[in-house]
Amino acid sequence: MKRTASVMIAVLLAAGYQGLAASAEMDKAALAKKQEGLNAEYGLAKESQFYFVFDVLGRKLELRVRGMILRSWPLESMRFWGQPDFAGTVELVKKTSLKAPERIVIKPGESEEPAPAAKSASTASATPAEFDLEALELKDMPKRFSLDFDNGLHVTIKAKGGAASSFGAKMRDAWTWYVDLPLRNLFGSREGQAISELELVFDEEKDAQSIYWHFFDGIKGLIL
Amino acid sequence: MTIKRLLIAAAALAYLGFLAVLGASYFIGLKQASVWPPAGPRQDIPDKDLPKVERTVQQLEKRMTGLLPKGLYIVIDTAENRLYLKNGDKVVRTAVVSCGSGVVLEEPGGKKRSWVFDTPRGEFSVKSKITNPYWVKPDWAFIEEGEAIPRGMEERIEAGTLGDYALGFGQGYFIHGTLYTRLLGRNVTHGCVRVGDEDLKAVFKAISIGSKIYIY
Repeated sequence: MKRTASVMIAVLLAAGYQGLAASAEMDKAALAKKQEGLNAEYGLAKESQFYFVFDVLGRKLELRVRGMILRSWPLESMRFWGQPDFAGTVELVKKTSLKAPERIVIKPGESEEPAPAAKSASTASATPAEFDLEALELKDMPKRFSLDFDNGLHVTIKAKGGAASSFGAKMRDAWTWYVDLPLRNLFGSREGQAISELELVFDEEKDAQSIYWHFFDGIKGLIL
Repeated sequence: MTIKRLLIAAAALAYLGFLAVLGASYFIGLKQASVWPPAGPRQDIPDKDLPKVERTVQQLEKRMTGLLPKGLYIVIDTAENRLYLKNGDKVVRTAVVSCGSGVVLEEPGGKKRSWVFDTPRGEFSVKSKITNPYWVKPDWAFIEEGEAIPRGMEERIEAGTLGDYALGFGQGYFIHGTLYTRLLGRNVTHGCVRVGDEDLKAVFKAISIGSKIYIY
């Protein structure tokens, strides 16, 4: 009886020790990752420029300045093909969309604004959102676009509701993701031109549009 | 008949070959994906270095906190047309504003100057605080209206357009009042930030010269 009890205690102690050791390893790993992240972010934050932080495990994309979070976009979902080694500091090289917003060029002599509220009776009842202005606004930004970074990472940004609607577009998307990318990944890897393709899906169309608005060419960022 | 069979066999072989290649690419992809996302660090910390790393992390956190602006500051979201008066992490006041329209104005004739009506983005500081400001109309204001550019300064001065207060943040850009209150929330300005009367008064009183402005 005594022997069984001592064996059980020994087993429990061993299991506890194993658990503590594993927990300590995890703490060490978390600490090392935190140090890495803080080091990289401090390098960006000490400049006065805006930068982004893409937290893969935290599933969120953030726009920051001086370490302060200006905007946060939680991810609805994401998927990936290719070489996963893209973490670290990156720079946006190119922003591509099917239909990029174009600036309106106004002709001299034409006013781009309606008359002041007090003087305009005909439109007094309309809400601000109803006016069709000659301006480049958030609603004019694309809901689906891609970002190319200097480390070769290609990110497609889209909204959940803004996904391909027609059958043809859905088929094209499926072909790209399930056939084209795997094959490019296979043959590209063999030729030393590996791909890193990431697709980020956001809940709201507005999220994708505001990312397009705030992510200017040359913006630096950190992928954790 | 034989040719038909051969063709079917060739097509089946090609299809199977394609499936095999696709399968191989999925195998490679899954193998790559098994290490993604990377949960751990790239290098392990030896036990003896642990206290040192902990100290470094604390120092870095302190340095990061030191980068935050001191006192009250302004944050402007040009996409949402919102102004936030903040103190540390706390939002003291939110205001609906109007930011730049992004329109391009081109001058006709020989000079061919052009202006882009964007609100500048970046880190700025309040350089001037003006009560009852006058607008000194720049050249583009006359060109836009199809009017001749005046030679005298008096013809450029316009009262009332900028509201009761203006906060200058450099290069001719101001946070000021507006007559066009129904357009607050829309991108309509020539680059300045227009604010409603009540909000402008509160922001003007709270902010001092040198306070930081972040426009994104």
